[in-house]
Amino acid sequence: MINVLWLRSSLRSRVVVYLLLIAAATFTLLPFVWAILNSVKTSADTFDPGAIIPFVNFHPTLDSWINVLDDPQTENAFVSSVVVSLGTTLFSLILGVPAAYALARFKFPIGTNDIAMWFLSQRVLPPAVVLVPFYLMLVYLRLIDTWTGLIFCYSTFNLAFAVVIMRDIFRDVSTEIEDAAKVEGAKPWQIFWKISLPLSTDGLVVTSVLIFAFTWNEALFAAALTSQQATTFSALVLASRSTRGVDFNVASVNTLIGIIPPVIMYLFVQRYLARGLSFGAVKG
Amino acid sequence: MAAVAVRRREYGSVFKYVLLLPAVIWVILFTFVPLISVIRYSFANYVLGQGITGYVGFANYADVLTSARFWHSIIVTAIYVAVTVPIEVILGFLAAWLVNLGAPWSRGFRTVIGMPLFTLEVAIGYLGVTMFSSQGGMIDSLLGLVGIHIPWMSTPWGGITAAIILDIWRWTSFVFLIALAALSAISSDLYDAAILDAKSHWPVMWRLGVPLAWPVMTIAILLRTIECLKVFAIPFALTTGGPGTSTEVFSAMDYLTTIQFFDFGKGSAMGIAFLVMVAVIITIFFKQMRKALD
Amino acid sequence: MTHRDGADKFAELAYALMQGKIGRREFIIKGTQLGLSAAVLAKISRPAWAADNLMDSAPEAPYESPITKERVEFIKTKPYKGTTINVMVLKATVGDGLKYHVPHWEEETGGKVNVAEVPIETLHQQIFSDLASGLGRYDAYMTGAWFYGDFFVPEKPYIIPIEDFLADPKHPNWDPDAWLPAMRKLYEWGGKIYGVLFDGDAQALYYRKDIFTNADNQAKFKDKFGYDLPAPPMTTKELHDCANFFTGWDWNGDGNQGWGLALHAKVNEQGFFHFLSLSAPYVISPDNKYYFFDEDMKPLINSEGHLRALEDYVKLAKNGPAEEISWTLGQGWNLFLAGDSAMEPTWGDLPTLAQDPKTSKVQGKMGAAGIPGTTEAFNPITGEWKKYDLNQVGNTNGGSWHCVISSLSKNQEATYDFLAFMANKKNAFFNAANGWTGVQPGMKFEYLPPVGSATLDEFKAQGWNEDDVKEYLTGYYSVLSAPLQQQYLRIPGAAEYWHELDVNISAVLGGQMEPKAALDATAAAWEKITDRYGRDKQKALYKASFE
Repeated sequence: MINVLWLRSSLRSRVVVYLLLIAAATFTLLPFVWAILNSVKTSADTFDPGAIIPFVNFHPTLDSWINVLDDPQTENAFVSSVVVSLGTTLFSLILGVPAAYALARFKFPIGTNDIAMWFLSQRVLPPAVVLVPFYLMLVYLRLIDTWTGLIFCYSTFNLAFAVVIMRDIFRDVSTEIEDAAKVEGAKPWQIFWKISLPLSTDGLVVTSVLIFAFTWNEALFAAALTSQQATTFSALVLASRSTRGVDFNVASVNTLIGIIPPVIMYLFVQRYLARGLSFGAVKG
Repeated sequence: MAAVAVRRREYGSVFKYVLLLPAVIWVILFTFVPLISVIRYSFANYVLGQGITGYVGFANYADVLTSARFWHSIIVTAIYVAVTVPIEVILGFLAAWLVNLGAPWSRGFRTVIGMPLFTLEVAIGYLGVTMFSSQGGMIDSLLGLVGIHIPWMSTPWGGITAAIILDIWRWTSFVFLIALAALSAISSDLYDAAILDAKSHWPVMWRLGVPLAWPVMTIAILLRTIECLKVFAIPFALTTGGPGTSTEVFSAMDYLTTIQFFDFGKGSAMGIAFLVMVAVIITIFFKQMRKALD
Repeated sequence: MTHRDGADKFAELAYALMQGKIGRREFIIKGTQLGLSAAVLAKISRPAWAADNLMDSAPEAPYESPITKERVEFIKTKPYKGTTINVMVLKATVGDGLKYHVPHWEEETGGKVNVAEVPIETLHQQIFSDLASGLGRYDAYMTGAWFYGDFFVPEKPYIIPIEDFLADPKHPNWDPDAWLPAMRKLYEWGGKIYGVLFDGDAQALYYRKDIFTNADNQAKFKDKFGYDLPAPPMTTKELHDCANFFTGWDWNGDGNQGWGLALHAKVNEQGFFHFLSLSAPYVISPDNKYYFFDEDMKPLINSEGHLRALEDYVKLAKNGPAEEISWTLGQGWNLFLAGDSAMEPTWGDLPTLAQDPKTSKVQGKMGAAGIPGTTEAFNPITGEWKKYDLNQVGNTNGGSWHCVISSLSKNQEATYDFLAFMANKKNAFFNAANGWTGVQPGMKFEYLPPVGSATLDEFKAQGWNEDDVKEYLTGYYSVLSAPLQQQYLRIPGAAEYWHELDVNISAVLGGQMEPKAALDATAAAWEKITDRYGRDKQKALYKASFE
């Protein structure tokens, strides 16, 4: 990622850049450090001002970790979250990407901007408002407490991301190549599948990461629409609040465990982020 | 030749609908019934166990729109969004610029700064309770080193500020990732040319980076604003709306009304009122965005 | 009274008992007033479920004690083999308590129990969505006592009474008469029992016995206030003085400032129970039993008595850290367990957690007593203040989590069998003695003699400190058995009524509202809620909840 800007910067400039980056990284890492500390503290130590360094100021304990890892629901919830997040991402892409392409390339009776905005409006309503109607719908479809039910619900709301982001990606893809292909006799779907799609991998990657992260994080619908078989990890974290209030140490363990799959996915797809997104700013 | 051209145009006609309609039909199917339900409930009196006991016209709307608690939650949400989103956008863009410079270990910084996006908001809210507590909380201890003690968890302003800080921590990485993708798309030739007559990279950022990344940033801002307007997990997990209802965001109030008390009438009216307000804001915003894109 | 009159009166009494107009206790009391022997009366009116052939234990059923012969025979047939029952519980504490018994019951009866654990945030929504939508995926739900009103809204209630099952000796044996009466009311509706024993919550005043009985502190207190340091404080004045006294200096010797009283007053987090418990003696008295509404469903919450209680509550809250108005339960308890708070009015979780040396520095130092009473109480019906020597009121505040059986269930008998299994004396005692279950003792036998049949050794075996457990049980018992009890609100929408009170009290604590305005606002909000649910229906159900 060596950039010409770095190479031509003065030493003083470079120092400033590093200082700022380190500050940013520190700000980002501090809560994680705190979560690690909390995860090995007892509930008493959690609120003890002196308990900072393990083994020096306080006696660390693995109780909360054992509590969480021993619980069979932890593993189930984890698997559920992975399945539901991946499923939602895939389904949203399958439905949303073609739609985005259509909005980018063709004209419709209703303005494409308006259609895109209509998709986006699905994200505006707070989930609590529509939760019970969704519950009743899933009852009717016999999809309560199932992965499929959750995937259907989440996809409905996350389609917006796929449509809005990919539409602008596609608008950025050069039409010259497409026209050339058309002249050669390629059918429209071939153009879409073999040319436009591969050229827009970066957009697909960003969209996937975002949809995955948003679905992974969603807690309210999961807690309300599932009770056992399809409970997601996020809903499980919500359950850190029990009749005795919040178990902060268990919540800290869950914070740390919960970050692993999305980060893995993120690291994995980063290699496909070659070109970056320009959204119509720069061609070629 | 003409016949082939016509056929291709027709195929094109059908094809575009084949691409678009599945998504449209899906969304209509899955949101039509809930939306109609919500509208219906908003004109009714709903009681758990009895269902709709009667229709009350606009009484629910009148109730909601004259409710001090409703407007207070709107104000809290508005303050929250107005402070959080700009800060996240600016910090996110700056961080992306710095990482994009390509210093050694940039990749490491990119991973670290991007990580908060993958945390669970509920967990972060709970973590925040321990972080901001005056009893041994991390923030309190750190600030205490220089003698500052802020009553985060015992005052409304403290509570909202704490929630905002957590939100900025969690969501700046959203803007960061999008901005980074945008900046890395700018070809190095352009960067090269720009830095030739600039003493450092900062002017390049102003003259080149910001304008070229602006279209991307508008999308990021739009998305972030929509999400932030319905913020729920972080502030609620942190303060549960308290003390009293002073830190209650709109989503929290709606959640209590609809999910905890099954008052669908009022909850639905609230939701529709909120939807209308946000639609107005987004339409105005979108007009601006349209100008930028066309 | 002639022989004739006596016989007539007795006939009336017996008739009333059979019709269910009076309870068994009343029957016995009134009968003895007529000159009859209590023992005879008890025998006559023995409820259908009193088992005749109770054995202490049986080798075939290691988890049940006592046990009937019929039960032993019944489980030999592995009666529920092939049956699966679905139970919805809260995750953690009480849910864990229930899960503990699952393998034992499965082993005994051949049945299977499928446990779904849900967060407390969505428990109410899950239960009633399941019921109202007709889906009925669950046979039993772990419910909080304040949900009861909601179960009885539809024509056909969502839950079923268990009296028929109780009468059947082939199910695990447990005796509802062993309930402390105040607790039993929470499991009943309209005179019938719906819930099966599990948890029994109440708030008591816990205090640092060692600090209160310390000679130095006693001397200092007498100097400052002119009377002996009361251990425990019995009146609200004493409570305030003690709280005041212990705030602001290090009486604990650990270098931290000490506080008089800790609270966990976070809004939307059960914090309002503090106010309910502490304010009860300002309004409830031998002359008045109404706290929330009067007989016409007019809210009483903004009466002079409630107002004074709220003003006092605000003063009391100053004896703890400012942040405690946003403390969740654990944070409030922590201040006491770390040794820095002299008192805390809260649930039995506190002394239970005090036994864990990992989280507590106060094992062996606990004192427990009833919530302090007043010397002057207000009657909101007549609008007058009246003086009393000591007006103390007990309470059953809290969730008192237990399972009820769904009317949609297709396995009601098997479900009852499992629930009764956990209510059996042996298992119930296990729950009460083991803190991690989150269960508090609601049955007489769980207490020490002379009230119950528990032994100190049984508690000590679970890690309890001897002095602590004696204090805890005595204090807790005094709350549950107090003759004057704060009624529990058991009408539809209880959660909503309480929520309005909760946010307004929290606003007062946060300095955003004045007490009078807060209570008036609460009353106005309550009227709206009553209208929404239907005033007449609420009135009828409210009246019924007193019987």
